[in-house]
Amino acid sequence: MKSYADKSYLAKTADVEKKWLIVDAKGLVVGRLASIIAMRLRGKHKPTFTPHIDCGDNIIVINAEKVVFTGNKREDKVYYHHTGYPGGIKERTAEFILDGRFPERVVEKAVERMLPRGPLGRQQLGNLRVYKGEKHPHEAQTPTVLDVAAMNTKNVRAV
Amino acid sequence: MARVKRGVTSHAKHKKVLKAAKGFYGRRKNTIRTAKAAVDRSMQYATRDRRAKKRTIRALWIQRLNAAVREHGMNYSTFMGGLIKAGIEVNRKVLSDIAIREPAAFVTFIEQAKAALKVAA
Repeated sequence: MKSYADKSYLAKTADVEKKWLIVDAKGLVVGRLASIIAMRLRGKHKPTFTPHIDCGDNIIVINAEKVVFTGNKREDKVYYHHTGYPGGIKERTAEFILDGRFPERVVEKAVERMLPRGPLGRQQLGNLRVYKGEKHPHEAQTPTVLDVAAMNTKNVRAV
Repeated sequence: MARVKRGVTSHAKHKKVLKAAKGFYGRRKNTIRTAKAAVDRSMQYATRDRRAKKRTIRALWIQRLNAAVREHGMNYSTFMGGLIKAGIEVNRKVLSDIAIREPAAFVTFIEQAKAALKVAA
């Protein structure tokens, strides 16, 4: 038998145990929430973290429209996107998105921008599922609750 | 003396280069001109990265240790500080390996580091 004594451990995709976690985003600060989610999506909270493998957890976020911005960012923070046409740069404020049809995009965008850009980053972003409201279609996975509010008092802000 | 044709040696040389260029992108894997340059460069990268590997792997041990230690309410920096105070000279490679394969044994390191920090404070 080959001994593993002088080899550093590298996880295989098969032996990664991917948990299902659920976060209630109500009253949580967006950036703080996103950094906790991004860390867990990448698997950097595990002692077996392996950089080239998707070793993070699956995360469900509910009540995504009830996240909080500190300061004036709800009114002032601007999201830019480009239509591809000349002069086609458009802007929307955070408030406009949160009051619109897809308020969950605020959390999605925040996490996306905290993950490494690349094939693995995109794959890991796929393990994130964000929903407005209480309901989510992942009851079958029996997700465990991740209490972000209890981690740090600054994670919660009264509106 | 027998006549030596040069095609044979150059073909052998090309074969060697193209073999090393397998899996490269586009013409780099088929065309001797581009393949040769690409293989030369790849060898430079390989030499450099055999040295860089020591650093990236050490960084990985530290990232893993940080994750393992945070589960017990410490961070990497204070943990290592505690170990030094406790006079424990186990290196990062072994520590991270213990954290993965023997989590129960790893707790004793945490306890010793915490105890050493308490004594120092």
